[in-house]
Amino acid sequence: MNEAAEPLIRLRGVIKRYRRGRQTLEVLHNLDLDVAAGEFLALMGPSGSGKTTLLNLIGGLDQPTEGEVEVAGEEIDRLSGGQLARWRSRHVGFVFQFYNLMPTLTAERNVELPLLLTPLSGAERKRNVEAALALVGLTDWRKHRPNELSGGQQQRVAIARAIVADPTLLVCDEPTGDLDRETAEEVLGLLQQLNRAQGKTIVMVTHDPKAASFASRIVNLDKGALVPAPAMGVV
Amino acid sequence: MKFLPLIWAGIWRKPGRAILTLLSVANAFLLFGILQGFASGLNHAVGETHADVLLTFSRVSQVEPLPVSQVAQIRTVPGVRAATPVVPIIASYRAPTQIVPAEAVDPKAILAVDPGLTIPQTMIDALSSTRTGALVSKRLATRYGWKVGDRVPLRALQIQNSNGTPTWPVDIVGVFDGKGGTLFANAMLLNFDYVDQGRATGAGTTNVIFVRVDDPNHATRVAQAIDRLFANSAHETKTSTVREVAQDQIKQLGDIGFVINAIVGAVFFALLFSVGALMMQSVRERTPELAVLKTLGFTDRAVMGLVMAESLTFCLVSAAVGLGLAALLFPVARQTIGFDVQAGPLMLAGFGLAVVLALISGGPPAIRAMRLEVVDALAGR
Repeated sequence: MNEAAEPLIRLRGVIKRYRRGRQTLEVLHNLDLDVAAGEFLALMGPSGSGKTTLLNLIGGLDQPTEGEVEVAGEEIDRLSGGQLARWRSRHVGFVFQFYNLMPTLTAERNVELPLLLTPLSGAERKRNVEAALALVGLTDWRKHRPNELSGGQQQRVAIARAIVADPTLLVCDEPTGDLDRETAEEVLGLLQQLNRAQGKTIVMVTHDPKAASFASRIVNLDKGALVPAPAMGVV
Repeated sequence: MKFLPLIWAGIWRKPGRAILTLLSVANAFLLFGILQGFASGLNHAVGETHADVLLTFSRVSQVEPLPVSQVAQIRTVPGVRAATPVVPIIASYRAPTQIVPAEAVDPKAILAVDPGLTIPQTMIDALSSTRTGALVSKRLATRYGWKVGDRVPLRALQIQNSNGTPTWPVDIVGVFDGKGGTLFANAMLLNFDYVDQGRATGAGTTNVIFVRVDDPNHATRVAQAIDRLFANSAHETKTSTVREVAQDQIKQLGDIGFVINAIVGAVFFALLFSVGALMMQSVRERTPELAVLKTLGFTDRAVMGLVMAESLTFCLVSAAVGLGLAALLFPVARQTIGFDVQAGPLMLAGFGLAVVLALISGGPPAIRAMRLEVVDALAGR
């Protein structure tokens, strides 16, 4: 990380507690984290360590119980639900483990979804969708529905959907967790390319050290706290 | 419009279920179209009747005959413009099902009594000069393939000929358009004298006297004057406007409006549950998809709007199918019942009902979708 640069993501004293019945669980404990613009960060840790919770806070899907979350200059912990939704549409692209595509829509319609929230015209949306699909190598599959695509292709459609509105940040939750090794490497290579060629800041949650090795930095989370990363080469 | 593919895809997520529900909703709107069409047509037919035409019957009952001599006396009442005796004859043509509504009238008075009726004077003259003559409406002529010069053996159901048969041979001397006429527009017009002098019994009487007044605002006063004229006589009369008589006749059939509204109301009440259940099930099945939409930046209200739009689109499409089918039946109604269905207001009411149905049945699932917590839904909780 470049210490001199202003971080794109800045977390200070973040605590997240959940109520489960009568119990209150503290999932994240007083967490500080900076992620620089253009960084590809891998968040690793065992199940239940709070990785996805942290990712949700960074992506503006959830808000901290205490502390500050600042992304792209916006203190998103202070935004209302509606403001946060609009902020996500402008700044964040999401990639999930199980792709989460709309089964009734074609690949191009799935990719177009984030653009429906923009004032772009139909022709402009079409151009952007074609560019995004071309970037992930699925131009010929644009008229296919998710059930007609392989897992790797579906994940590439999901990535195209994540980048089509040109967000500042890509948030990926186990993006290769449902893919075989070869396809996983293709998808990770694509994310790496987006990071290096397009300058996208990526925060990726993964269990897989091999997947994490594609990132430029690895952060380990254990029991809701950041712990020093085990020795691992930076790609 | 840009959200339409998303809305449409949501509706057709389970095509089989969507088609079956669409058919049931469309069926309800078909029923609505037919029943309300019937009611509106009936009301329209009543509303179209002229306020300046009175009908004089016997005070005893509408089937009790009145002496024809009363017609001349009625013509002397101030405010009366014209009067004619009319003997309605329910007749059939070749088969008993080929009903012919015939009216024995005074040809000279007919145009004065039915103000909207446009029959050329030459036809009126032809009827006057031909004892067995008949003028038929275009609709009747088309239905039975009649043309001028044809001799038609009418079989009257309630008036016997003096030769002991129910047969009344008539010669068609004209075919009139019927447009604009309200009293005799669809009928066969016969010479009153031919029927009166040819019948086995009841000569010199009439079942009803049609009276046209100078000013519709004075219709009630003239009606009272006519009835006063024959008060305490052997043939007391009861005079009302055509509209009042039509309304009375409809009332005798029962409160049609109430029955129709009750049926339609029950059907749509049941539909609320089936469409509501469909929407609720659809939203429940799509919880992860709706969560993804929220993740992508769709606000709670936008997601609620999408679900409402789905419900609205579904109900409007179903209504369009049902009302469209009903509209195809309207010309049939015109042919068989003889009055026009007011398609415009009916369609408006139908689509209005579809909107109400969509709002009520789509409301709870839309609120559920709005309240969906993204993090919980994505985690499958």
